[in-house]
Amino acid sequence: MASESIVVFAQFQSAVDEGFWHRLSSLKLNKLGIDDSPIPITGFYAPCSHPQVSNHLTLLAESFPSESNEQSSTAATSGGNRNRCPVPGILYNTNTIESFHALDKKSLLKAEAKKIWDDIHTGKAVEDSAVLSRFLLISFADLKKWTFHYWFAFPALVLDPPATLVDLRRASQYFSLEEAKSVSAACNEWRNSSLTADVPFFLVCIDPNSLATVKHIKDWETCQSDGNKLLFGFYDPCHLPNNPGWPLRNFLALISVRWNLKSVRFLCYRENRGFADLGLSLVGEALITVPQGRAAKTGNGLGWRGHQCLPNAVGWEQNKGRQVSRCISLAKSMDPTRLAISAADLNLKLMRWRALPSLNLNALSSMNCLLLGAGTLGCQVARMLMAWGVRKITLVDNGRVSMSNPLRQSLYTLDDCLNGGEYKATAAVKSLGRIFPAVDAEGVVMAIPMPGHPVPSQEEDNVLEDCRRLHDLVDSHDAVFLLTDTRESRWLPTLLCANTNKITITAALGFDSFLVMRHGAGPFSSNDERQRLGCYFCSDVVAPIDSTANRTLDQQCTVTRPGLAPIASALAVELLVGILHHPQGIFADGELANSSNSGSSEQPLGVLPHQIRGSLSQFSQMTLVGHSSNSCTACSSTVVSEYRERGMEFIIQAINHPTYLEDLTGLTELMKSASSFKLDWDNDDDADDDDCIEI
Amino acid sequence: MGTKEEARGTLSSTDFGVAASAFILSWNTICSSFPPWTWVLSHHQVEGYLSLENILLSSTQEEHGELSCPGPGKHSHQEDPIDVDDATLVHTNPCKVHYCDLHIIYCNSYRVPVLYFRAYDSDGEPLGFDEIEKDLPAYSKKALSDSKWTFITQEEHPYLNRPWYKLHPCGTSEWMKLLFHADDALAKTGVTIELYLVAWLSVVGHVVGLRIPLEMMKQL
Repeated sequence: MASESIVVFAQFQSAVDEGFWHRLSSLKLNKLGIDDSPIPITGFYAPCSHPQVSNHLTLLAESFPSESNEQSSTAATSGGNRNRCPVPGILYNTNTIESFHALDKKSLLKAEAKKIWDDIHTGKAVEDSAVLSRFLLISFADLKKWTFHYWFAFPALVLDPPATLVDLRRASQYFSLEEAKSVSAACNEWRNSSLTADVPFFLVCIDPNSLATVKHIKDWETCQSDGNKLLFGFYDPCHLPNNPGWPLRNFLALISVRWNLKSVRFLCYRENRGFADLGLSLVGEALITVPQGRAAKTGNGLGWRGHQCLPNAVGWEQNKGRQVSRCISLAKSMDPTRLAISAADLNLKLMRWRALPSLNLNALSSMNCLLLGAGTLGCQVARMLMAWGVRKITLVDNGRVSMSNPLRQSLYTLDDCLNGGEYKATAAVKSLGRIFPAVDAEGVVMAIPMPGHPVPSQEEDNVLEDCRRLHDLVDSHDAVFLLTDTRESRWLPTLLCANTNKITITAALGFDSFLVMRHGAGPFSSNDERQRLGCYFCSDVVAPIDSTANRTLDQQCTVTRPGLAPIASALAVELLVGILHHPQGIFADGELANSSNSGSSEQPLGVLPHQIRGSLSQFSQMTLVGHSSNSCTACSSTVVSEYRERGMEFIIQAINHPTYLEDLTGLTELMKSASSFKLDWDNDDDADDDDCIEI
Repeated sequence: MGTKEEARGTLSSTDFGVAASAFILSWNTICSSFPPWTWVLSHHQVEGYLSLENILLSSTQEEHGELSCPGPGKHSHQEDPIDVDDATLVHTNPCKVHYCDLHIIYCNSYRVPVLYFRAYDSDGEPLGFDEIEKDLPAYSKKALSDSKWTFITQEEHPYLNRPWYKLHPCGTSEWMKLLFHADDALAKTGVTIELYLVAWLSVVGHVVGLRIPLEMMKQL
């Protein structure tokens, strides 16, 4: 290696704390708007404190000028301290990514370099040496995606020709033992005094007795005595053993301009664990040559040192060795939607951790729920489902929000009623999104075809279309809630669910009573000989086990006590969660509350009833079990197989001819008994033919 | 600290302040070679919390990988012809460095201190918990998975209004009770307030890989 190679400096490295971007974002949103004038900011750095890692120029929330009227969440730093030497800088934040890339980097750098050059010439840099490390930051804050593009520049005045390195070695190898001891002590004193701890450039003056003192650079005159060794010291953020840090560049320029020194001995001051580390620190000697000839003739004979002769500047920060800007994404900590999601997850996880270790959060969040009806029951069920972590919800309703609705239907407000009223399905989906942006909700505006409401022939195609649509909806969801307000409207959904063996939950309201139940499995769902639990329509044909059941609902009842819908909706959702956590799921037996049935007490969520019937007039609630009926008009094997065979033709027939279903299911019964009767008749060869009676 | 609080393993907010001052004093004296804990006042200038920041978690050599966060138009912008002179060192092997910040904040509802932490790389990009876990020593990872008291959640920092990780405080009073009652002499001397944080941090620090120096522990 040539004895005179140029000094190669290690660039400053930037580090931006998240708080800086948060602060910039709120400034942009609340105060600046589209104003993109430059903002003065303060950077902070400290000498290197680790043998393998360089220190950085750091930006924090406090880097912005403090506002008296702005909420500041931490105490403002008063200037600096030993770990935070303040350095002035400037921020150019653009409004678009295009203008960010279009900024004239050359001239911006030149402007900042000029400031440093001016400070050197006016003497300001001697008084307040931190200005030598003035920096520039350009940025673009994308406040929709919460990403921040940025690029730092640390302007360095280029010496032409460059300074050459005569010597560079560890400080411990340069100083004598006595000198080293004294230098360490003096530096530690400088670093411990609040007056000087944040002053990054200084002089180390060593007298012939090896006594070292650290002084401000403005006291340079006082160090000029024979026998004194003089070193120009600075806080070096760099840790490398063969390269001094970036602040030395402008320091050399200052030294040359102010004191016209050709040979400069410098100290790259570095620390370890809060104390001067002379093994890590470097001492070197640099030679500054002033170009002869042409340059000497300019600027009053000062050559390049003349004030009007601004040297070139370099200093844009490299990004992994390349000359490109950097980018950071803070969506996870700034995007409100993401924050809402993680907060919601936290709640459920806490529940699982503290109370219910077997809670299956994945099952809940991946479940797809279909809600038929977006009225008092539908709105509440949707909210409760979201509270349990269900994210995929489809609401079906063909009605519009009317003025009386917002009071009892918890997803709607007055705005939804205006101008004739929004479609409920649409308004509900919007409302869910406002509550929890990550919900995946869909609204379907559709009427549910009902038996007993014959279809005129010109409407038949539409009705068929609706039937098919309903079939597809049931098919594509995991659980179906029947939350409509008429008995008939529940028939087709029940049949479709029985056909595909979907989890089905019915809620129905009377004036002051309610029914919440889960339908049993479909008729062809298993080879098990056990009796299936009943559906909503089975109850009509087969009496429930508890014959003292309250008089129930099923009348078209739109006037109900307001408390009923929230209670019933909540129970309906809790019932679903219970099914999800039961090992047999839809096939689970119906359990009764307060039973001595040992199976129920083992389930972490408690018993899993079949039916819950409640009465507000009694403030009471009871659980019941009912089994499926072979003559059920909705879920019996007869009906389901007819549907499987004849599809929509069967549906239309059932819709148009209300007695058809009874005939279908009753007829089977009759045929059975008829054939058994005939059998008797055939076997009898009695001669009492005269006594036989024509049937 | 009232004996009632002591019995429950909790402490009042004023006692937290006392404990914090005592803690800072002893830490900065005994562990002077470690970076110091500082007391930060909230904007109300009434409440405060303990802070230890820029702790080096790990530092590894990084390959010249893809630059993170390309954003739109990544390839449409050529490298800018920025002047670089010969006197500038070109970074050929940049280090991937991870740092972490620790805050100890008093929780009014549980009446115990809570450890908040976050980690980030040298660009300031926040690290997710799975990345933090990679940097933790083996005994911490074990403590996190085994102990039923350790539940890490991500919640909004009470003063900085940004998400930080925290060690959920609901179990703290339980094991603090055990810790103090294990040593009758300790309970009797009545200096338990001052030592509360040292004791607390000796357990909690274990989880985040913060080793309390032996000299500090000797006080207990």
